[in-house]
Amino acid sequence: MAEIAVGIDLGTSNSCVALMRNDKIDVLPNTYGEHTTASVVAFAEDGSITVGNAAKANIIHEPENTVSSSKRLIGRYFFSEEVKKAQAICAYEIIEGANHGVRINIRDEEFSLPEISAMVVREMKQIAEAKIGEPITKAVITVPAYFNDNQRQATKDAGKIAGMEVLRILNEPTAAALAYGFGRGLNQRVAVYDLGGGTFDISVLEIGRDVFEVLATCGDTFLGGDDFDDRILDLLADEFVAKHGVNPRNDPYAFEKLKFAAEQAKKGLSLEEEVEIRIPDVMTVEGGECLSLQRTMNRSEFASLVQDLIQRTFKVCDEAMQQSDLTTRDLDGVILVGGPTRLPVIRKAVQDYFQQEPKADVDPDEVVAMGAAIHAASLVNAEAPDSVLLDVTPLDLRIGVAGGLAEPVIERNTPVPIEQSRRFTTFQDFQESVKIRVYQGDSRTDSENEMLGQFEFSGFAKARRGEVNIDVTFEIDADGIVNVTAADPATGQAASTSISLSGGLSDEDMEKILEQDPTARVAAAATPDGSDSRTAASAPAPVAADEEIVLLEETHDGIDLDLEIDDDANDGDLELISDDLSALAAESNDSAGSSVIDPNAVSISDLDGEPDELVPLGNAAVEVNVNEGNAREDLFDSSNKDLSADDDETELE
Amino acid sequence: MSDVAPLEIQALAKIIDELDYYQLLHLETNAEVSAIKKAFHATSRTFHPDANRHLGDELREECARISKRVTEAYCVLRDPRRRKAYDAKLGGNEGLRMQLAEAKAAHARQDTEERQGRTPQGRQFYQKAAQDIARQDWTSAQQNLKMAMTFEPESAFFKEKLEEVRKQK
Repeated sequence: MAEIAVGIDLGTSNSCVALMRNDKIDVLPNTYGEHTTASVVAFAEDGSITVGNAAKANIIHEPENTVSSSKRLIGRYFFSEEVKKAQAICAYEIIEGANHGVRINIRDEEFSLPEISAMVVREMKQIAEAKIGEPITKAVITVPAYFNDNQRQATKDAGKIAGMEVLRILNEPTAAALAYGFGRGLNQRVAVYDLGGGTFDISVLEIGRDVFEVLATCGDTFLGGDDFDDRILDLLADEFVAKHGVNPRNDPYAFEKLKFAAEQAKKGLSLEEEVEIRIPDVMTVEGGECLSLQRTMNRSEFASLVQDLIQRTFKVCDEAMQQSDLTTRDLDGVILVGGPTRLPVIRKAVQDYFQQEPKADVDPDEVVAMGAAIHAASLVNAEAPDSVLLDVTPLDLRIGVAGGLAEPVIERNTPVPIEQSRRFTTFQDFQESVKIRVYQGDSRTDSENEMLGQFEFSGFAKARRGEVNIDVTFEIDADGIVNVTAADPATGQAASTSISLSGGLSDEDMEKILEQDPTARVAAAATPDGSDSRTAASAPAPVAADEEIVLLEETHDGIDLDLEIDDDANDGDLELISDDLSALAAESNDSAGSSVIDPNAVSISDLDGEPDELVPLGNAAVEVNVNEGNAREDLFDSSNKDLSADDDETELE
Repeated sequence: MSDVAPLEIQALAKIIDELDYYQLLHLETNAEVSAIKKAFHATSRTFHPDANRHLGDELREECARISKRVTEAYCVLRDPRRRKAYDAKLGGNEGLRMQLAEAKAAHARQDTEERQGRTPQGRQFYQKAAQDIARQDWTSAQQNLKMAMTFEPESAFFKEKLEEVRKQK
């Protein structure tokens, strides 16, 4: 008998589960007969946990004990913008966990984000099991295409905690295109416009019968239907303040009531030209007066509130069209995904932008789960009809180099699976080790990217700076897992790591959580105190000068980039010098090949606080030899102080 | 599922380092972009690890290796500028593979050469012409561009500039 694996669309606002059997795809309804289930988790006083629409109804009564939109936080660092934003608007308590992770504190218990998401996954699993009548242990789970690796890993962890083997983390727009084109023998180019509750993605695909090739994907993980609700909410709150002189934002109950009303108004405007917003009891003020709110809102007023948000999505669309080398006229179809795309104001804007009517035969709430189900079936069942997904990596993968820079090794929208290498060299004479820092993002400045992890590579030949070759190879396999290898081609010495991320849970965390019965209510929080080697190793930290590496662009194409002191520059600025200056000039505005190093970002001139411990370039050999193993640590510590990153450091020790 | 024979997977994995991208994708060296895409899809249907999930770990590992190289070949050949850089590398017997960053650096250099001249004399006369253009001395600019072109008759960029100057005159 064929194995069973479901597809789960784990959404910001709602989730959906589907199954393909005997070439037939079914969305599996919950016990209330609904095809989607709210991604909301409520924690009751007696310790029980409710997931779904019943939990959502609880938000108004107990906002501080009800977690919604947790997908906005999963896989993020505590210091990220999104977490700060969530802290400002969420009634539940968001706190910092080990290694800059995010934890949610509810009724004096701490939960990691993967644990919260796992509760939603488990609910979807149970919905499917109730419908199918047998245990389900395998799933394909979808994520926004623009999710970074930390967010993907954390989502995978959520599946594991829920007792699922996650066969694949699949991009939502790719899943939607698969559901649209599967088994239809199409030869088409399509755009998938996916506006979810908290994220926006646009993917351009070429469907060649059973092959689904993603040409480009772009997105914004800070933009979704929630933002549309917030615009109405802000208007209501501002008007309330103007009228009554009290701010409902300061009262969590009043705030949730306004939020609920805003969401209802938005949904109502999908069907009606005008809606009435009425909250009889927003809040009771001193003296016992009960303040109410009542107003109408029509589609054009709503449109003016959100116009800029809609335009933001088209900026992203412009980028995707450009990256795929197509114009909107080349497209055979536009597929809308996500609840907010039901809004007439969005449908019309999308139609205007793409100059064609979006496909009407696709259900924006269910199509992603259906695509995930199709892929799940093909991954467990050799008899399943053929389909090959050729996806791309959504963000540049970079390596940190001297000067606080990050050089791309695999650029965004490169198809996967792929393997790419670049050659680097040492930054200092007789350097003993290099720190390979792996980033994801589009910035040349390392700190502006998402840190995926780091590892140390040593054991290469000791030589003057620039004389050691270090080949760094990045590999993304069909599962989207990133592997990084550093090797010295001369000695054959190599070190590698499979990137495991601070956003995810450590192996120890995972073990602890899995020890408990996954179908039972999740008990104690799993937060070991800094004993966790995996996350500790990958938390962001400054790099000492003698662990830095430098890009070496040479041999293969005749450009010789060496690190030299440029006499003309002020203050001994360091610069990468090429024997082919015209090539350099051509690239100076570009992200490839060459770079100007700003020493103020790290090292030398910046470190005059404690000069004794530091190694000027010329003396490096002596210092390092004398101190042997200690030299590196000295540098590391002093540079930490100088980079005033001590906040980050204290927790690592 | 792919119906490729295990022997075929093993054979290809064995010789993959000896194939250039055209050979890998079964393409003529003058293949059109549409043919390159077709070949990429066809090869993926056959060798993608997902299409071979029914096979054992070892064979699927080899499929993964083939797939990665196929993707690399496709990335280079589908982009005219990368392809040009790759063709130059093949012609010079400098290897059968090209990393994407390497291709980018190479075509950036080609662009600069095209814009400023490939030969010292070409560069010299073009620079003079550029100065002429700046002060709108079209006659002198035309002469200098013609001189530059005697050293680099194939330069499309010089030709284009010459046309522009002629129009100005």
